[in-house]
Amino acid sequence: MTLQRRTLATGTTAALFAPHVLRAQGTTDITIHYAQPFIFKESYDAIAAEFARREPNIRINWVTTPNYEEGMQLILRQAATQMQVDLSYQGFNRLRLFAERGVAHDLAPFLAREGDPARHGYSPAILSLAHFGGMQAGLAYAASNPINFFNADLVRRAGGNPDAMPTDWPGIMQLSQRIRALGGGTEGMWYAWPGDDWMFSALLFGHGGRMLSEDERDIAFAGPEGLGALRMLDRMVREGGMPNLTREAAQQAFAAGRLGMFFWSTAVLRGTIQQVGRNFELRTTVMPVIDPVRGRLPTGGAAGMLTSRDEAKREAAWKFLRFSTSVEGTTLMVQNTGYVPTNQLAIDEPRWLAEFYRANPLFQAATRQAQLMIPWYAFPGANSVRVTQTMVDQQARIIEGRATPEAVLADMATEVRRLLPRPRG
Amino acid sequence: MRRGEALAAWMLTLPAALAFLLLLLAPTLAAIALAFSDYELGVWPPHWIGLDNFREMWTDRGFRTSFVNTLVYVAIVAPVSVAGGLGLALLIEGAARGRTIFRAIFFLPVVSLTVAMAAAWQYLLHPTIGPVNAVLRAVGIAGPAWLSSSDTVLLSLAAIGIWESIGFNMVLFMAGLTAIPRELREAAAVDGARAAWDRFRLVTWPLLGPTALFVVVISLIRSVRVFDTVAVLTRGGPNKASEVLLYTMYTEGFTFLRLGYSAAITLVFLVIVLGLMLVQTRILDRRVHYG
Repeated sequence: MTLQRRTLATGTTAALFAPHVLRAQGTTDITIHYAQPFIFKESYDAIAAEFARREPNIRINWVTTPNYEEGMQLILRQAATQMQVDLSYQGFNRLRLFAERGVAHDLAPFLAREGDPARHGYSPAILSLAHFGGMQAGLAYAASNPINFFNADLVRRAGGNPDAMPTDWPGIMQLSQRIRALGGGTEGMWYAWPGDDWMFSALLFGHGGRMLSEDERDIAFAGPEGLGALRMLDRMVREGGMPNLTREAAQQAFAAGRLGMFFWSTAVLRGTIQQVGRNFELRTTVMPVIDPVRGRLPTGGAAGMLTSRDEAKREAAWKFLRFSTSVEGTTLMVQNTGYVPTNQLAIDEPRWLAEFYRANPLFQAATRQAQLMIPWYAFPGANSVRVTQTMVDQQARIIEGRATPEAVLADMATEVRRLLPRPRG
Repeated sequence: MRRGEALAAWMLTLPAALAFLLLLLAPTLAAIALAFSDYELGVWPPHWIGLDNFREMWTDRGFRTSFVNTLVYVAIVAPVSVAGGLGLALLIEGAARGRTIFRAIFFLPVVSLTVAMAAAWQYLLHPTIGPVNAVLRAVGIAGPAWLSSSDTVLLSLAAIGIWESIGFNMVLFMAGLTAIPRELREAAAVDGARAAWDRFRLVTWPLLGPTALFVVVISLIRSVRVFDTVAVLTRGGPNKASEVLLYTMYTEGFTFLRLGYSAAITLVFLVIVLGLMLVQTRILDRRVHYG
């Protein structure tokens, strides 16, 4: 840290006497936005307290939105009128939209000023999480991946071993049926397929597949990997006895101790721990493996992007973004959320988080599979959000047993093709 | 003198006129203008695309589903809540005791917050831990997934809609009933209308005409406007089985950011509501008032 500060200082000495820099020595007010305070507030508070000690001349106004969607609306509204937010933390899958609409600043020049980013823990894999629209649209703040939340009491009663959960889907489905057989309206498993395309991509990436072709001109999910993903969903219903529930209903059933296994993002870990309380023994583990070689997992979470139109504010906002994603910042973030660190140094050097993971074993599941994480794919063009809704709608037909995976894949392909930007020329 | 009076009149209406202009007329006109553009949040400037949005609506499976769902929802909720409201009002009017209590009970859903009540319904209708299915299970019936199966989701939402508006209609009908002079019914009884049904058919119902018309129109408009329960409980799912007009408008505009298309849907909604009001003021008004 001291080393990096010195480099920064020498870089600016020459310009130190320029009038605008002198003015910048006074207090700078910046506005920072983030979504989901019920998940993130503690982490930002902790980081802001530490940041205030290092940068006493930067004053922060906070703006929060209950969810990512309203956060996106806020920034786009301000982009059309007057931008008041200088730094905004947005969902990974929405960054592309901001990059394509010219709202986010390219962070590559900022990073370049400090030399090799990898030296500060910004490995290529971590940078790629927020690399969209041909630029470094943001820096990853918090990363998540899907995990298996399970009710250890139910697993035990069904004859399973909570310490050695099945590592593949057929094993999970058998266990699910045994939990259902306990009776009394107990359900075995639920996979969080509705909402968006994230959990579908977990099945697709798990088969080694991808959403679009390399040049993004055509879909690439309509092959064997996509079919494998939809067949897996079909088998969860037929062989695993997965009930047709909304996500809220599934979460409630799980918290009430009536659902054996719940597959969703590690982001809800903290909330789930609170919901479950002492109802039963809550445990977590890694996702079942589909393709042990090519299989990957999508990355959810948030990245900070610079939106300021004022240079002094942009510099101050960059300092906060840089600190919040540094090894110290990411350590505070992990300790106050359920997310995976987004700074390689915090992953590699045991002194930052090893102690925390030992004390909080529920948080280990997501980190144990962190090496499988690849970016959450964001579709190009104006219909990017609409595409994901189409995919969810199509999957509902499988869940309700109204169409075969083959038929759904064909319809999904047709509908998504129609929504992709038409190649010019 | 005349002029001064006219000026004063204008000055007095100025606040209301300004409010109407700024808060109602201007936004409506802006929405109408947007309906003919391809405006997307964050993409400036929008282009004039004429009737393209309406042409897209015609072929859009999502919009069609949403339109049909709204019609089905209205066709269930409006008649049942009007008839039910009338029935409750008559029962409570005729009751010897407990009128205040029953009135309060049935009116409760109207004054409670829909979003909060939706959470209560979510629990009641929960497929595994909900009381409704627990009762069904006790008598040996496997209850459906009320809010997540495309067979039952619209019916469940309609049931919640009826529960919500039946008390409102009841209170309106009760107000209408108290306005009917008791002597008229007594006179009818003297004239030979012995059965209660005859007195209702010959006296009460015709005199309730204006109230009934108002209740019907209000119920239609309220049920076309359904949004909260869908947004909280189903988000239009599964596979658009509970997608309704206002929810489609919302997702197109604020999730998919296509404000132009969303404004076009708003226009369709506006035409429906205006049409209903027109029906009330023009056609039926003449037939239910006894001058």
